[in-house]
Amino acid sequence: MSAAANSSRQPTEAAEAFAGWLRNLGGDAAPETAGTGSGPTWLATERQQAAERVRTQAVPTGKSEDWRYTGLRALIEQGFVQADEPVTALTVDDIDEVLVPGLEAHRVVLVNGRYAEALCDLGTLPRGVRIGSLRGMLDSDPDAVRGVLTQIAGEGSHLFAALNTAAMQDGLVVLLERAALLERPIEVIHLSVGMDEPRVAQPRHLISLGEGAQAQVIERYVSLGDALYCTNSVLEVALGRDALLKHARVQQESRNAFHITGLYLSQDANSRYAGVNIGLGGTWARTDLVTRFSGEHAECDLQGLYLAGDKQLIDYHMDVRHGLPNCSSRERFKGILYGKGRAVFDGLVYVARDAQKTDANMSNRNLILSPNAEVDTKPQLEIYADDVKCSHGTTVGQIEPEMLFYLRSRGISAALARRMLCLGFAGEIIDALGPEALRDYVAEQVGARLEQAPLD
Amino acid sequence: MLSVKGLKANVGDEEILRGLDLEVKPGEVHAIMGPNGSGKSTFAHVLSGREGYEVTAGSAELEGTNLFALEPEERARLGLFLAFQYPVELPGVNNMYFLKAALNAIRKSRGEEELDAVSFMRRMKERLKVLHLDDSLLKRPVNFGFSGGEKKRNEIFQMAMLEPKLAILDETDSGLDIDALRIVADGVNALRGPQRSMIVVTHYQRLLDYIEPDHVHVLAKGRIIRSGGKELALELEEKGYGWIADGEAA
Repeated sequence: MSAAANSSRQPTEAAEAFAGWLRNLGGDAAPETAGTGSGPTWLATERQQAAERVRTQAVPTGKSEDWRYTGLRALIEQGFVQADEPVTALTVDDIDEVLVPGLEAHRVVLVNGRYAEALCDLGTLPRGVRIGSLRGMLDSDPDAVRGVLTQIAGEGSHLFAALNTAAMQDGLVVLLERAALLERPIEVIHLSVGMDEPRVAQPRHLISLGEGAQAQVIERYVSLGDALYCTNSVLEVALGRDALLKHARVQQESRNAFHITGLYLSQDANSRYAGVNIGLGGTWARTDLVTRFSGEHAECDLQGLYLAGDKQLIDYHMDVRHGLPNCSSRERFKGILYGKGRAVFDGLVYVARDAQKTDANMSNRNLILSPNAEVDTKPQLEIYADDVKCSHGTTVGQIEPEMLFYLRSRGISAALARRMLCLGFAGEIIDALGPEALRDYVAEQVGARLEQAPLD
Repeated sequence: MLSVKGLKANVGDEEILRGLDLEVKPGEVHAIMGPNGSGKSTFAHVLSGREGYEVTAGSAELEGTNLFALEPEERARLGLFLAFQYPVELPGVNNMYFLKAALNAIRKSRGEEELDAVSFMRRMKERLKVLHLDDSLLKRPVNFGFSGGEKKRNEIFQMAMLEPKLAILDETDSGLDIDALRIVADGVNALRGPQRSMIVVTHYQRLLDYIEPDHVHVLAKGRIIRSGGKELALELEEKGYGWIADGEAA
């Protein structure tokens, strides 16, 4: 009896602590925007509703399926408080160490979630392309983001997205007009630096491509030093008819960082989204990738690679809903786990009754290098249409001793042989990243982590 | 070059090698023939250090160094090379990168400089040609999606790149048609020299028409039961292995 009483009490305490924490993060920030007087009414309404959802939504516990393998306790215990003041002391020299050598791009830098104009190097943007800060856009031309901002990650999105809506202060906006074409990629550096006390930054980003527009965006989450902080960011992406977005996201945060990102994607007819997610850093990292189709013949390709070692939890959740016929989606994620690393892959593809001719394929393959590492993988297909092509598959395996011996028999050390095999396993995802400079850089980052990985 | 004395080895509880003796001098090519299950491949694997075998007695020395005290990569750096009967596919591991890593590991262990990119490329192209292999092979993952013949040729190509002191060819002829066999044999013959020894493990005599051995040994039940010149191979081909087994029994 006492055990039962105990187990029912603990989640409640945790839930209360969590709810209190959320109220602090979401509630305080809302008046700030109201205070500036520049926020449009439609947005203020959305934000109030989001704040209300944060207050009333059931707090996730270990029993909630979405958070089953990713406990929130560690996050709550840090006592993060909202980061209020922008960091302005950094110069271009300070960010040198986080750049990708040889990567040619229109560069945007955000520091602790705020657009850092002085560090950006946008170069010359082609006609029909606007890049700027959310704060600036809301001041000068709020109608430009209306219809997208809060409309894609709106109701039904998870708690942290609602929290972000309530608390957002700044972020990045990328707008491409109809038929605009960006030849060089946009590189977005999300830089975090440590503060005196653990801070949470809640930036809100937006990428909107008009009909037939094409762009490539490279987002990189990086930090200076081993800073302890939390990022709770939301990115809303709207792709018009025939639009094409290639999107790379490389999360290489400090080993003490907490990272929550939600990518909410809305795709109109014939649009194509190709995203590659690389998860290497942080101590606790949760990413939600959510896709909705608003027109037929759209394609959504989500690929990913995660590496988790000691004191790391990396969690990717996917939610792809096929509500219309003739769309296709693919999720292909690979993971390498070492030491006491943990990862979660949870992919849901939902095919509604009317979504005939849906082509959906999901795979998750994992390489486990240590007996203490763990991956919880849950691919799910929910299909209500009868004329579809859907498949899913999951594997969890180790390095084949045959392969290892083959390499060693050629004079290659066991450690290097393991690294080569891991990189070989990860290679097809890294190759999908686009620019060669970025591929080389990520391969090197992955290799360096594997080099430090304990062998058993 | 190689000196094997009284070698016994088990797989699990089963004794496969039961007291094998072999002396190979620099520049010599030795053929080891024998029926299936005689221990030919086990011998090749034990020398190269593959897991799953337990050496219970005897010794094997390469130029005076005890092989059994070394890891597989250390044996390779010493100059031992095994051409696999079943070359392993390594998806995602680029052939050129793999060869560079292997060659540099071997050179480094000998205190030699890493080969510069130009010399490395030159060496590769030259040796690919001998084996009638296309340059595009370098960009592909090691053995991945290769045909059986390509895999075997790739083994000999690696041998040509790594220039071992002692090469063991484990049933390199199995699964090859006559044209491929000729190409592989040409590749092997091009590598023969006074300082390089080879052990050719084979079930069939026909490979030895193309790679002429100095000595032929017959392995049965884990021991060398007959040794002779290349004429022994012909005799075997004519009479089959039954004759040997009978002779041993008598």
